[in-house]
Amino acid sequence: MTMKRLAKLIIKLKWPIIIIVLALTTFFGLQLKNLKIDADVINSLPDDDSTAVLYTNIGNKYGGNTMGMVIVQAKNVFNTKVLEDVRQITDTVTFVKGISTVTSLTDVIDIKNVDGGIEIGKLIDEYDIPKTEQQLDSLKAYTLSKDMYKGSIVSADGTSTLVIFTLLDNANKEEVAKTIKEKITKLKLPEKISFGGIPMMMDDVSSLMLLDLRNLIPLTFIVILLILLISFRSARGTILPLTTASISIVWTLGLMQLLGYKLNLVSINMPVILLAVGSAYTIHVLNRINEEKGKNRKKALIKAVAYITIPVFLSGITTVFGFMSFIFGAYLTMIRNFGLFTSIGVAFALLLSVVFVPAVISAFSMVKSQKSLQQQKKSEDTLMGKLFLIPFSNLIIKHPKYITVAWVALIVLSIWGMFNIKTSVNMTNYFRKNNPVRVTEDIMQKEFGGSLPVFVVFKGDMQSPEVLKKMIQTEDYMKKSPDVSSTQSVADLIEQMNDVMGEGKIIPNDKAKIENLWFLLDGQDVMPQLVTNDLREGIIQARFASADSKDMEDFVKYMNKYIKTNSTKNCQIELTGMPSVYVKLNSSLIRSQFSSLTLAIILVVLAVALLLRSFSKGIYAAIPILTTIIILFGFMGFAGIALDIATVLVASVALGMGIDYSIHIITHFSHEFDELKDVNLAIKDSIMVSGKAIIINVVSVSAGFLVLMFSHIVPIQNFGLLVAMSMVGAGVGSLTLLPVILILHYRRKENVNKYIN
Amino acid sequence: MKTVKLSVLVSALFLLFGLNANAQDANTILKKMDDVMYSAKDMTAKVEIVLIDKSGKEKTREALISQKGTKERIFRFTAPASQAGIAVLSLPKDVMYLYMPAFGKERRISSSVKSQGFAGTDFTYDDMESKPYTEKYTPKLLPAEKDVYVLELKPLSPRSQYSKLILKVNKSEFYPTYMEYYDKGNHKLKESTYHFVRIGKYWNAQEIEMKNLKKNHITKMIMSDVKYDQGLTDNDFTVRKLKE
Repeated sequence: MTMKRLAKLIIKLKWPIIIIVLALTTFFGLQLKNLKIDADVINSLPDDDSTAVLYTNIGNKYGGNTMGMVIVQAKNVFNTKVLEDVRQITDTVTFVKGISTVTSLTDVIDIKNVDGGIEIGKLIDEYDIPKTEQQLDSLKAYTLSKDMYKGSIVSADGTSTLVIFTLLDNANKEEVAKTIKEKITKLKLPEKISFGGIPMMMDDVSSLMLLDLRNLIPLTFIVILLILLISFRSARGTILPLTTASISIVWTLGLMQLLGYKLNLVSINMPVILLAVGSAYTIHVLNRINEEKGKNRKKALIKAVAYITIPVFLSGITTVFGFMSFIFGAYLTMIRNFGLFTSIGVAFALLLSVVFVPAVISAFSMVKSQKSLQQQKKSEDTLMGKLFLIPFSNLIIKHPKYITVAWVALIVLSIWGMFNIKTSVNMTNYFRKNNPVRVTEDIMQKEFGGSLPVFVVFKGDMQSPEVLKKMIQTEDYMKKSPDVSSTQSVADLIEQMNDVMGEGKIIPNDKAKIENLWFLLDGQDVMPQLVTNDLREGIIQARFASADSKDMEDFVKYMNKYIKTNSTKNCQIELTGMPSVYVKLNSSLIRSQFSSLTLAIILVVLAVALLLRSFSKGIYAAIPILTTIIILFGFMGFAGIALDIATVLVASVALGMGIDYSIHIITHFSHEFDELKDVNLAIKDSIMVSGKAIIINVVSVSAGFLVLMFSHIVPIQNFGLLVAMSMVGAGVGSLTLLPVILILHYRRKENVNKYIN
Repeated sequence: MKTVKLSVLVSALFLLFGLNANAQDANTILKKMDDVMYSAKDMTAKVEIVLIDKSGKEKTREALISQKGTKERIFRFTAPASQAGIAVLSLPKDVMYLYMPAFGKERRISSSVKSQGFAGTDFTYDDMESKPYTEKYTPKLLPAEKDVYVLELKPLSPRSQYSKLILKVNKSEFYPTYMEYYDKGNHKLKESTYHFVRIGKYWNAQEIEMKNLKKNHITKMIMSDVKYDQGLTDNDFTVRKLKE
């Protein structure tokens, strides 16, 4: 028998195996210190995605698409000291490596008419900041009279102002954000300073992720340790599962770093998942070794390993399939990478549990003596059996129909709830309600029309009246949307200049006039942000005020409708920006959920059908977990938990892990039914024996995932809660719904048989 | 041994002293440079302005320039067609006028734009100004290089956009060969190189290349048809003349 030969080989090579595992762990462990975190949501769209390409192009052509801001709040911004501080912040930001452009009160283009002369310069001369009350008052009146500044760079009440910056395309966003925060905090300014925009949020998310890693992994470790200790009451039963899970985590993370991958918002969940899932395989192996009796400990061990390898492998393979469904089913790179490395991690855990665990046990003579084995109680005598499993199985056998009705009612209710599921990809929603980032975003939305950049790209002759007039028309149309308050383009500047030339605030009809006006704009700092050097392309810049996915979707639709009718050959219009990116992420999320779940269902049902050599059993096994997933979506709908970058994973993860419970019950039931030929007894026995293992597993895995609720990042909190819920659902389903299905199925068979007889 | 050491020391001291004696005082060097650059009474020339962006793409403009002393100047663009006829008149006391032919109107340009780029070039209005360096900066002598004196210039006005300039001046003819511009954060912002040729009795900056290191953008100003001392008067530098 090949399995036996394999088992013998493992025992024979115990020392080389232990040494190799230790060496690999050291090697991968050394990689860990270089592992980086990537919190950039744009990176989750594939490189060739059209929305991502257009957005990146804006970054290349116009000096950065990534926008951050420093918010300065004071009693009155138009105060010499405050303006000095704004200038100081502006200077500080300007000199940070990776910064492309900076716009602030002390560094913003201004076009004005002074005594019949034209002045194209800065709103405030940074070297000569107004000092007298009169100067300051007139500056305030002037600034707030211009749409270019009011609500865009200064709040309408003059109590807060922005220093807006864009990042160079190749800049490390988190690094820049961190440097800016540090340098500005060091200035110790008296004004209230806060930081907003995507790069700042990314930096915050990164630190929160690090914090989570540091806190949650040890916490999960402790929780699982306690549960194992309580369930098994042995050091071996506690230490070995945790060790193999930890080693598989180290290997997986080390491999990630070695292959140049970074930890992202999704893969950060991996250690906790591996800890919860990975320890389960070792538990199976240990259980088997415990059960194997015989005087020759070595022979017993070999027999146990030979027996358990295939079942453990099969139980693992469904989980691997669940994660692998993301590699092929998900559109977002972040999720694909997560799927890839988590399946590798699970495979590592599997491998370790069948190779490393027996090697360690054999090397350190850890096989339990007969005596301790005899002390183990039968399931019926345990507290869990008396209080829970016995009444439970009686209920199932007596009233299978009630249970079916209860489940069906729950499913109907859940399907209703499913229609209320929202999606959310906005980074703001990653933060808890009281997090400073959320507070800052609120200020940005209330006072400054939001922090999300919107770009409308125009392709055509940027000096032609046609294109510039179309830009103005587009800007007017944009401002009619409830979430766009101010816009900026070269057309605005041309209008203002034309006004100063005394010909009204309009785009001149004569191209020659536009070319003349352009002469003064040439070389202005703001120009490269608005038009390309060859004057064949230009953009309208705006900011979007809402963080709501629905608002973004409405806006993108609203704009696309306009673009469709107004884009011409001479003036091609396209929309991009964060709302577009988020809308794309959103639709990808739903698509990812749908295709990865479908793929997971097919793979898992096929695997189970193959394992149980019966297609109908494959379907039966899937029913409890599929029901659980429907209930899960229903719950998300009712509880208002959005489908986001982390919660999108729950269904497939739950499917891969939850199906194991059904497999246990069905295998056990088939075995018993063949022997006893009595449905009720077989069911009762299955629940009594497998039930205990399932309950322990549900409790330890759910507890492990519930630890994620202590995360600082909202999607991860929800992910933990939902996976834990699904595990409970899958466990309960496999102990109630599945037996009921089996009972009804076999009773009908029995009836049919009786009838025939 | 001791005596040998002493003699080395003594000769080294003499060498240093001798060098110092020959060295030019920083102020004198800068003054001499101003004289070389601004000694002509007037000048007319054709200027070709080449703008090179970070991807290496070139754009060319052409202008006619006429200048009297250091205070009066007209820049009249002739190419490309879209800018032909646009003219800038600079008068004493930072007074500047811009003429736009498509509007048939001139407008005074405010003086607060001096740190802004001139017509899309890497030269600011400040850089374009012909004000003598001795009136704008205090020089400090740095160790000289092979053919050039090296000066560090600190602006006299606190409103300057630069924190300092590093200037290299030809040792024998006192024209500038190279300049570095540092911003207020003391980062090197721009650098310019000069190619001077002798035309009649004056040295002419035939080619100036200004490179903006932050924007990675280059401007070349190439002068041709240079004529000196043709007897231009203040009447050649009026708003009426600008419109012609």
